[in-house]
Amino acid sequence: MEFVHRLRSWLRRDANARDLEEEMRLHLELKVQEHIARGTSQKEARRQARLDFGNANLAAERSRERWGYVQLEDIGRDIAYGLRQFVRNPGFTAIVVITLALGIGANTAIFTVMNAVLLRPLPYTNPKELVTWRGNESLPDVEDIRAQSREVFSAGGAVNPEPMDYTGGQEPLAVHAGYVDAGLFQVLGVPPMLGRTLSQDEDRKGGPSAVVVTYPFWRDHLGSDLNILGKTITLSGQGYTVIGVMPKGFGVPEFNLDLFVSLWVAYPEAAAYRGVHFMRSYWRLKPGVTLEQARATMTTIDARLSQDYPAEEKGRNAVPVPLQEFVTGNVRPALRILFGAVCVVLLIACANFAGLLTARGVSRRREMVVRAALGGKRFRLVRQALTESVILALSGGAAGIVLAVLATRLIVAAKPAALTHATGISVDSDVLLFAVLVSILTGVVFGLAPAWSASAAGVADALRHETRTATTGSAGISFRKILVAGQLALAMILLTGAGLLIKSFVRLNSVSPGFDPEHVTSIPIQLPEARYAEISKQTLFRRELLSRLDSLSGVEAAMVGDVPLNGNEVTHGVAIEGRDAAAGDEPEVDTFCVMGDYFGVMRIPIVAGRNLTEMDNENHPLVAVINQAMASQLFAGQNPIGRRIRWSHDAGPPRWMTIVGVAGNVRQFSLSEPPYPAVFSPFSQSDEAWRRWMSVVVRTPNDAANLIPEIKRQIWALDDRLPADQVLSMDALLGLSLRDRRFNTTLLALFAGLALILASVGVYSVMSYAVSQRAQEIGIRMAVGANRRDVLRLIMGQSARLAAIGLGAGIVGVFAFTRVMSSLLFEVAPTDPATIAGTVILMAGVVLAACYAPARRAMRVDPIVALRYE
Amino acid sequence: MESSKPLLPGTLDLLLLKALSLEPMHGYGIAQRLRQISGDVFQIEEGTLYPALQKLLAKGWVVGEWKQTENNRRARFYKLITAGRKQLRAECVEFEKVFGAIVRVIEA
Repeated sequence: MEFVHRLRSWLRRDANARDLEEEMRLHLELKVQEHIARGTSQKEARRQARLDFGNANLAAERSRERWGYVQLEDIGRDIAYGLRQFVRNPGFTAIVVITLALGIGANTAIFTVMNAVLLRPLPYTNPKELVTWRGNESLPDVEDIRAQSREVFSAGGAVNPEPMDYTGGQEPLAVHAGYVDAGLFQVLGVPPMLGRTLSQDEDRKGGPSAVVVTYPFWRDHLGSDLNILGKTITLSGQGYTVIGVMPKGFGVPEFNLDLFVSLWVAYPEAAAYRGVHFMRSYWRLKPGVTLEQARATMTTIDARLSQDYPAEEKGRNAVPVPLQEFVTGNVRPALRILFGAVCVVLLIACANFAGLLTARGVSRRREMVVRAALGGKRFRLVRQALTESVILALSGGAAGIVLAVLATRLIVAAKPAALTHATGISVDSDVLLFAVLVSILTGVVFGLAPAWSASAAGVADALRHETRTATTGSAGISFRKILVAGQLALAMILLTGAGLLIKSFVRLNSVSPGFDPEHVTSIPIQLPEARYAEISKQTLFRRELLSRLDSLSGVEAAMVGDVPLNGNEVTHGVAIEGRDAAAGDEPEVDTFCVMGDYFGVMRIPIVAGRNLTEMDNENHPLVAVINQAMASQLFAGQNPIGRRIRWSHDAGPPRWMTIVGVAGNVRQFSLSEPPYPAVFSPFSQSDEAWRRWMSVVVRTPNDAANLIPEIKRQIWALDDRLPADQVLSMDALLGLSLRDRRFNTTLLALFAGLALILASVGVYSVMSYAVSQRAQEIGIRMAVGANRRDVLRLIMGQSARLAAIGLGAGIVGVFAFTRVMSSLLFEVAPTDPATIAGTVILMAGVVLAACYAPARRAMRVDPIVALRYE
Repeated sequence: MESSKPLLPGTLDLLLLKALSLEPMHGYGIAQRLRQISGDVFQIEEGTLYPALQKLLAKGWVVGEWKQTENNRRARFYKLITAGRKQLRAECVEFEKVFGAIVRVIEA
């Protein structure tokens, strides 16, 4: 009601003013007539009427206020006035805007990433219903769970990423295929853009070869063909009919995949095999079913499965967790800490902002006092000051958004591995809203105290002071000192955090990977089942390829199932001859097949026994080399050489492998993870025909780049349909494995540096201000005999006290807060004394440096000038 | 707002509403009426009626109508409407409560 009235009266504000004027004029005229009627003279009657009526202008003014829109007009005037002030003080304005832009920009950039990765719901139908659990499943498991969990899950499906080759283009291309079951599309609930997804009927052994492709694959390799449905493409030597194209932006939760085929069709042996848990499974809660209910159901199912299939399913523990939480689990702590860090940077920037406003408030005191004396209400004065601080904050925010857009591009380009699956990291409307809110909040919260104190003085008191020199503002200066101490404490916490990360990174970099990555290149190759179903064919190919590569001058070549640090492994339960273990209780070890002198090429030392040789082939007894971790964990105090082991799941006659050697440990997964027990056995002696993938590792005299085309030629001379496009040097792999840490460390160090700079600007400006405030005092001191050293001691002593308070609070903060980053540290305690001490020294140095210039200025105070000014 | 007036603070609205509850009036008329009824006790700067009247308009308690006065002058007559009558009742109750309390305290 009031608002409508306000709006209407604003629309007819001129008419309103005329009405008011008219009725007040009438009132006065009637009043005059009243007095004349009582016999007063015309002139006296007018005077009397005006007296009765009071101040007509004031009454009109007050009436206008009642209409409400006066406030709007006032705000407009405040804004115009503020803008004029800024133009008149370009230096002040620039410093404030840059300070806030840095703070808000960093904040907005990290918020952008956080919003895209952690906050935005996953792009599936009702994503909150989706759950998954740690640990993979085999397809029989998925089918059993689906059959037994109907009261909690409405759908469930699974996917296993597998390389396939696509030979429709110029070079054979390795594509990332998803071997799926039909339930996967059902559980994610995203309809295809063209055609349809896999149906239950197709998803069976001997079903039709059908493929669903993703939008990028359709666009890049199928020419965005709208009539693609029903056409056939060749994948790993087999024709697949395209039945559907998924929409742009669709992806399965944890992998970047190009296309999807039925596991039953592409790999029926694996589909039927309960023992190999290689599929990621996703489940959809029925509406109204809680996570706890799903967990209880899964506990029952787990118990049943491990009872029915102890050899394969012992120790099952599927704990459903929300999918979003699961897929962002790895990035969550790092992103939270980075966001915390940018909030701290913003706080420090805001403290500078508040400090600058206070300083300006003091220098504008006279203006405020004059306005107050002329009847400006305190509310109006505070509002004027707040309007100005909000304008400044919004300008800073606008500049910050520009910075954030640029920074976000850099972050996405640096793309830490954990962010590879997150799409759409960009400044969107949510982010803009966030930045604007942050700016306004900054302007109001950090403008309020300065605005209040600027308008605080009693008029009479202030006027008396202002007629003399500007010695007021002691309240302002102590407020600013508190701000600066706070800034130092916050910067100290950030710097320590960055220091801890850097130290972790250095420690991690000095961890030996267990092999010599220099000049070693790996080329993953996947032999398609259509042409290499039998081990003998695989062995023939491998042997022929190695002999061709060995004939290249200077090249040492070998093969291994999975090279270190590529994030893959196959684990088997291992049975040791002469030791009994119940089915399902055998120790799990990593298993690798090798061919050629793998240990020699990688420079992995053989610490006991012998290396594998060419003689260890299909015509000779089965042998294996184990690593030191396995020797010490499974053969503690015993000599493993000559002992026999076999895979615990083997059916049929036992295939005992004799341990002939022990190799040095290799960090297979990452430098920060300890080496796990591992068994290396010859490819040629393996009976696992499904091990059709491997990496060729070649050591070259120097850079491998010019040899790569030759190596590819040799591969294609043997089989011209094999993709060999994923060439990666081991150095690069090592770098990739450190990428996330490098990313986190770099960013945090950057923010800490920013915090340090902002805090030192704060120290500098508050000390400069303090010196200028105390110029007269210093002048008097010098006049009565203090020398320059005393003055230096005075100023530096003040700075040192400030630094001591700030850094002391900072150390307390370090002990309170660095704990949260434990998960990001490597062999460094969150309260590492050396790091804290180093940070304190660094910060003390920076504070002293920031105070040096003001202190010099204080020393140069000329007592005569200072006193005459007084 | 105009605390220098010998009027109990916050009572101006009440007086205006009461005056208008008898008949629609223009500003001058209201001033006359208040003086007459109160027996010249209230010393109101008559200009201050106008901001107060604007507030009543803004609150939606009264409406303004331009009409001819008995002397054929054009004037804005303020007329109490339902919301205003309700407000008047509420303020009367409130005033009597406060006033009664003050009286009790004084006479105690």
